[in-house]
Parts: sequence; structure tokens; C-alpha cells
Amino acid sequence: MRSKLITIQEAVQKYTWDGMTYAHGGALPVGTDSIAFGREMLKQDRKHLNVISNCNTQQTNLLAAAGRIKRIEIGFSGLEVYGFANGLKRAVETGVTVLEDYSNGSIPLRMLAGALNMPFIPANAGFGSDQEYCCGDRPDEYPCSSKLPWVKDPFSGKNVPVYTAVRPETASIHVTMADIYGNAIMLGTEWNRYELSRAAQKVVLQADFIVDTDCMRQFPNLVRIPDAVVDAVVYWPYGVWPQCSVGVYDSDEKAMKEMNAALKTVEGTEEYIKKFVNSYSTVQEWLDLLGKERIDLISNTVTKFLMDPYRRWIKSDAEVLQMLERR
Amino acid sequence: MECTRQEMMAIATGREFSNGELAIFGVGLSMLAGYWAQKNHAPDLVAFTEGGVFGSSPVGGLPWGIEDTRISANATSFTNAIDALGCLVASGRVDNAVIGAAQIDKFGNVNTTGIWEEGTQPWKAGRYTLPKVRLNGSGGANEIACGAKKFILMVTHEKKRFADRVDYISSPGYLSGGDSRAKMGFVGGGPCCVVTTLGILRPDPVTKEFYLDAYYPFSSVEEIKENTGWDLKVSANVKMAPEPTAKELANLRAIDTTGSLRKG
Repeated sequence: MRSKLITIQEAVQKYTWDGMTYAHGGALPVGTDSIAFGREMLKQDRKHLNVISNCNTQQTNLLAAAGRIKRIEIGFSGLEVYGFANGLKRAVETGVTVLEDYSNGSIPLRMLAGALNMPFIPANAGFGSDQEYCCGDRPDEYPCSSKLPWVKDPFSGKNVPVYTAVRPETASIHVTMADIYGNAIMLGTEWNRYELSRAAQKVVLQADFIVDTDCMRQFPNLVRIPDAVVDAVVYWPYGVWPQCSVGVYDSDEKAMKEMNAALKTVEGTEEYIKKFVNSYSTVQEWLDLLGKERIDLISNTVTKFLMDPYRRWIKSDAEVLQMLERR
Repeated sequence: MECTRQEMMAIATGREFSNGELAIFGVGLSMLAGYWAQKNHAPDLVAFTEGGVFGSSPVGGLPWGIEDTRISANATSFTNAIDALGCLVASGRVDNAVIGAAQIDKFGNVNTTGIWEEGTQPWKAGRYTLPKVRLNGSGGANEIACGAKKFILMVTHEKKRFADRVDYISSPGYLSGGDSRAKMGFVGGGPCCVVTTLGILRPDPVTKEFYLDAYYPFSSVEEIKENTGWDLKVSANVKMAPEPTAKELANLRAIDTTGSLRKG
């Protein structure tokens, strides 16, 4: 089998473009998300994005702050205990980004429908409230009857509301461990990543660790994303920073607050991009930017024991570089 | 016992949980209230997060997010959102839950989505214009509000938060009151109470309008009425909620290690 390991620059170049429908996973505001991939999209100047998010994260907060998101479908637009997502909030309030509200349970259901190639799926929530009646795409239609249309259940004869399926053009998905073929193990909640990996037309994994395939053979039940649904694998350590990766690092409290404060204004956002987006290109430069002190601090997570069974299969930075060069 | 308004709210919320219930908590204060109940009087309360983190409790401080490392350090199972919010919550399996709100109304509807200029609210204007202030959206609260057998609303008691009608219904309470929720066909029963920093409100069984059921040792009926944006009805049997006992407060402070409830 051929290796799917490529650089993050190559992955963004090949699998993203202006105006595309892009999804990211897990899309948890403090937990897992493919944030390094989003930084690279910004670096390569991707714009007019139509984004499918389960929740806002620092990735969408940053892309929205920089004016790159023209439309977003989302279940939750905040940053949990860190408060409002200032970048996305500003983009929505100024009309730069059209936001279509869903709920946290409805986004993965719509991904499941997309994964199964079904046109729609019955809604088990979301109806009878303004999530049904308010439509960002059709603001003049209130109460809106086309966002969650009601159809007749042919078996019971009752009317039921339905969600439309989603099939993003590309999904970037953060995973804890991947092998070079795209088999992946996720620690912590999967959130939407199982459905998303099947719903998206192209899937790029962003992994904290590249591991030997023997690791997958030892724990095949845990490989919820198999190589068959993956197009590319990218190695990017601490790639969820400043959010957390369960088993590997905690969220960086100070950096979470500083980033969100910066994204509040256009000037702050430009400054942030200069400092934390355009200032590195290699993994080593990225690690130098974060610095040893910060890395030691966030790596001292109460969850680090979760990685213990897998450590023997982890490839070193040098080995990953070699595998990339060997292509 | 001396306690802050936030601590009283957390304890009053936690008292609404019974032993053996299957429960889901949101992030922040509602999580403290839930884990306090588990420690204080409901050891067999089974809780999970909307991302499907089962069997865990916070380690190393109040979690920053519902699926972060602090809530994942002693879990017995990690599943996913379809499992937690779909198979367990929206399906109707969950007994009890807590959700927060930026704004609620007299029928227990929840707004966490936005605040509009007066007159431009979608339901008034007949058009969905941009809000003056964009809030965070429903998250998993909509699934909880639709599916949980009952749920508790936990809200800071301020006039601007207690509206006659919310600007936007992010998560449904009793909609326009009476049988309007029942007609919609939700599997869950709706909000059983609103626990605030000043007192406890409960729904009238027929009209579904929330009335004042209890005040706290440090609040009064008058203060609560003044801080409510509709003409709040008061129960003929309105009473003072029991003051926190020394044991209750000690248990709360053992959970709230970072003192987040003592600031307010």
C-alpha cells in the first residue's frame, strides 16, 4: 500500500480551494480540532469558505476573524469557559459571515446522513424553536419552513421534521495517532469524527503522532477511522494548540485568552497572524515558536497515562522526515 | 452558613437531583452543581457529557470545556456526540439535566443565540435580521430541552435576563404555554424549575407559566419581583429555601476547588 503521508503545505494546496465547502473535526471549542490545518489554509490565503462546524473552535474563530468565512453552519459558536469567540462574533455581527444555527446533536446526524448517502434524516430535536424558524440564508422567510421541512412518515402517517444531509468537499480531522496509510486512533471523545470521515468527499488527517501500523494491528477495535476513507495524513505535533488533545496536552489557558483577545479587532488579528501563522513553515520552526517551557507545561496533562499503551510505536520527528523524503 | 449567591444557586440546583438518575450537565457552574449532588446526596447519579465522556469527574480543577482533559482523566468510556446527544438525550433516556441561559421567559424558553434591538426580534419583525449581540447558539442544550425527561434552568437573576418573551428560542421550554409544548410532540417533559441567584421558580401545571416558589435567606419576594421582566406570580405557599448546611457547603467547596462560585 502506498504511503499517504504528505506535508501540511501539500495537503492544503491539494485539498482546499477558494469557495469550497470545508469541514473540520472534531470541532470542539476547547478539545480536539485540526487547528494547524486551518492556520495553513490562512497562510495559503484560502477565502470565501463555506464551513461546516459542529462547534466553533480557535480555527474558525481565526478564519472568521480574518474574513475568510462567507458562511458557516454551526451547532455552537462560543469557546465554552473561555467565553464568546470574538473573531467569529465580530464577523457575524458585521455581516461578513452568514451563520446558520443548528445544534450540537444535529450536525453529526446530518453528517451521518451524508455518510450513508441519504438525502435527509429525521430530526430528533431542533424543531419547534427558532433553530427551525430562523434561516440565515433566507432571512425574509419567517417562520422558515424550508430549513427543517416536515414530511409525512409513510409508516405512521404522522408529520416529522427532517434535516438535510451534509457532504463536505474536504474534511480535515485531528486524530491522536495515525499510520502513514491513514489508519487512526482517537483518544477522548470522537465527537463527530466517525461520521465526518465518511461524509466528506476528501479526508485529511492531522495527527499528533505517526505510529507504526503494528500499533493498529494491536488495537484494531480502536481504529475507528480506517485507511479506506482517508486521502492524506499530515504530521503536526501540538497541532490543536492552544486547545487540548486528550492524552497528549492540556489547553493553554493563557494562549487561549490571548488569542481570543487578539481576534476581537482587525489590528489584533493581523498581529496574531504575523506572530502565530506566518512565522513558521517546518515542524521544527513550529516547535521553536511554541518553546520548550510552554510545551513542558501543557504536556504535563492529567491524561498523559492514556498514551502509555501506544508509546513503543511512535515514530520520531527524524523518522517522519525520512518517510516524507523517501516518497 | 455564609455563602455567595452563586453557591446558593449551585446548591439549590444540585438539590433537584435524585440518587440513581441518569444526568447530563453543561460546562461551568451547572457541572459544579451536578457533581456536588453526586458527592453530597446522590452517589449513584450517573452523569455523562454531550460528547460521550462517561464515568468521569473533574480532575485538576473545573474543566474549561465539556470534553477537555480535566473531564477525560478518569473516564470509563469515550463515545461520540450521536451516542450521547442522540441515543441517550434526544431519545428520551436522560432523567435530569441542567442548562444555562442568557435570557429566559415566563414559559421557560431559553435564548442563548442573540439579543436584538427592541422591535427587530425575528418573532416581532417577521424577519430574521442580524442580532445586535451574537451569543453562542444552542450547543447541545436544544437536544436536552427536547429530549430530557425534565431539566433545570440555572440563570443569574437579572431583569434583562427574565423577559416576557425571549428574543429567540434557542432551546424550547413550554413555548407559548398551556398545551403548546405537548402539541409539538417532544419526547421530553420540559423544564421542572428555574433556579436563580435569588430564588426558585416552578411552572404552573396548567398554564405552564413560571411562578415564584421559594426565595433564599438573603433575598425576598419583592427583590425577586423587581428583578423579573414579567409580572411574576407568587405561590400562596411561597417559602424560604433551606439555608445550606455546613455539610452541603463543605461538599461544594471540595468540588469548587478553584473558588469560581465564591467570586459572585
